[in-house]
Amino acid sequence: MTKISDITIIDDDTITVFGLRKLITSSVECNTIESYSNGKIALDAMTAFFNNNQQIPQIIFLDINMPIMDGWEFLKAFLELPITEKIRINIVTSSIDPRDYKQWEFFKNKSHHLITFNQKPINRNKITEITQLA
Amino acid sequence: MIKVPLISNTSYLIRQLPTPTAFVDTNYNIVQTSDKWTSIFNKNEECNNSRSLFAVFPNLSEKWKMVLENCFKGNPQPMGIHKTMDAKNNELWFEWINAPWYDTNENIVGAIIQLNNITDAVNNELELNKKDLLLQQQAEITKIGRWEYNIEDNQLFWCSTTKSIHEVSLDFNPNIETALFYYKEGHSRNAISMALFEAQNKGKPWSNLKLKIITATGKEKWVMAGGKPIFNKGEMVGLIGTFQDIHEQVEADIKIINNEKLLRTLIDNLPVNVYIKDTESRKILINKAECEYLEVNDPKEILGKSDFELYPYEAAEKSREEDLEVMNTLKPVIGKETVKTTINGKQTSFLSSKIPLLNNKGIAYGLVGISLDISKLKEKEKELRNIINIASVQNKKLLNFAHIVSHNLRSHSANFSMLLNFLETEKDEEEKKSIVSMLTKASNNLLETLDNLNEVVSINTNTNIEIKEINLNNKIVNACDNLSPFISVNSGRIENNIPSNFNIKSVPAYLDSILTNFITNAIKYKHPDREALVILSAEKKGDYSILTISDNGLGIDLDKYGKKLFGMYNTFHEHKDARGIGLYLTKNQIDAMNGKVEVTSETGKGTEFKIFFNDKN
Repeated sequence: MTKISDITIIDDDTITVFGLRKLITSSVECNTIESYSNGKIALDAMTAFFNNNQQIPQIIFLDINMPIMDGWEFLKAFLELPITEKIRINIVTSSIDPRDYKQWEFFKNKSHHLITFNQKPINRNKITEITQLA
Repeated sequence: MIKVPLISNTSYLIRQLPTPTAFVDTNYNIVQTSDKWTSIFNKNEECNNSRSLFAVFPNLSEKWKMVLENCFKGNPQPMGIHKTMDAKNNELWFEWINAPWYDTNENIVGAIIQLNNITDAVNNELELNKKDLLLQQQAEITKIGRWEYNIEDNQLFWCSTTKSIHEVSLDFNPNIETALFYYKEGHSRNAISMALFEAQNKGKPWSNLKLKIITATGKEKWVMAGGKPIFNKGEMVGLIGTFQDIHEQVEADIKIINNEKLLRTLIDNLPVNVYIKDTESRKILINKAECEYLEVNDPKEILGKSDFELYPYEAAEKSREEDLEVMNTLKPVIGKETVKTTINGKQTSFLSSKIPLLNNKGIAYGLVGISLDISKLKEKEKELRNIINIASVQNKKLLNFAHIVSHNLRSHSANFSMLLNFLETEKDEEEKKSIVSMLTKASNNLLETLDNLNEVVSINTNTNIEIKEINLNNKIVNACDNLSPFISVNSGRIENNIPSNFNIKSVPAYLDSILTNFITNAIKYKHPDREALVILSAEKKGDYSILTISDNGLGIDLDKYGKKLFGMYNTFHEHKDARGIGLYLTKNQIDAMNGKVEVTSETGKGTEFKIFFNDKN
């Protein structure tokens, strides 16, 4: 099992958070799994890590539809942080709206981070695949 | 033996004769002349006596010799009229008379020639002939004939032109009755009879009577007749007049009038505005449609006026510039879309054309304008565009809704499938319990989502929503009563400034939902530092009754969230009860009633919603 230091889940749906946690812990080895219920809280935390020279989570699971600050707004702000390390950002959504797909392509192409687009439901195989380090 | 006349005694007598007289002997030699003769023919008063008559008048013909010879035989004949030159080379006309010259023994010794100067008479006659000829020619060229009527002997004279106008032969002899019969029965014959009667009885002349005749060959012709009585010593002796063939002119005039009428009918009945302007852009012709557009009954009210008198100054100036451009470049403007506003404020859309009018030198002397009123078309176009807009908005809304539905249902089903997967493989009983409770929660969430979607669908599909006139104040009092536990728990305060008689048009259930939602939101998102205060007021403006709900709560950053404010499942505050459905439903209900909602907000200070209820429903 790959050893990963920190994983972050950003999602307002408690069931999804519960499921992802369960899947991750059974598939990979990692130190911590943090979860945030919207983009704003997550961004505040990431900005704090960066400013304090703390470890930025290596893998981020990101939901799109969230209150206060949605996934795209979070992604836009996060990509503006000058993080040299390559982070893996897994977008997890049940949306089939082509506009979301276009947004993903837009961000994917302009960032050095690895950004993937994943449709729910996520199964064990999928989790193994998308928890490979970027 | 030749008898020589004795003249010496009588010569003095002869010289004094008052007429030019000459005595010639049988040898044609002049024996004696009167002084009168001498003064006419003799240069320097020289004496012609004893010279031959033929030497003095070399132009006299041989015929004279014969006449004189006969005279010598006692048979004098008239010698006629002859032209001859006098001493000063003037042309003179004389009537020559001769008589045998007898001596005392009754023997013929010669001839006495007496001259009668008729030069004036001859000249007058020549002049008359010339005038006649001229008149004749004039008559032929102008087709103006003459006629004369002599009352005394009831004789009517027609000149050749008058005859040819009547198409009768030149030897035709008219009389006054038949002359009248040539005029066409009815107006023409009555008019000429009246004129003749008035002339004969009152001495009144007539002129320029345009009448119709029927010629001898049965042709109808237009003629112009004139006549006047002639008086001799105060007594009417006859009538003279002119008779002119004006058929071609009249026919041409009639044709021109007909053509003008045709053109006018065409212009007037065209369903477009037509006008003609002179070089000063003054209107010199307008048709009925233009009259109607400018709201006048008579074109005269407009003719001579320029755009400066009919349109506001700026528009008139622009139009004048365009006129000048067309007349200077001679390039027409065709089918230009323009909006015209009259001085009365009436606005009309036109498809207007301006075409230069050229004189025979190719210079513009004005322009003709043709404008098609397309206001109705424009209105239709606007309506159509509106419908397209509505349709496209609806379409977007639908697509959006489809995505929302798909997203929400998918997210729930994804959760189900994930949790069921876990349940299948889970060994730990505690964990199993926890998964089952999650499943229950997921199921409840799904039901709630379905309820929400149902509600949205019913708002948007229910076309038979019954809009009623409702007293707004009563509804607000009701809503506050229903919400009173919630309001008091949150120690909120409602200030209702709505007049008790303020009515709006709304679906009662929607109004309940709208009021509950906005009041609840205003209190739910109150500022932690102060008590919630919700102020309600209302006003009428245009087609709308506007309900204003303002609070002193958290406020929303509209720059950030403005677009999503009324979206489904969008929440902006970290509040445990925020579901992101209330405003979405409310907005749908307001839209369904042809209303609208406006929002202003300042973060940390409060929010104000203005809800527009359409009064035209």
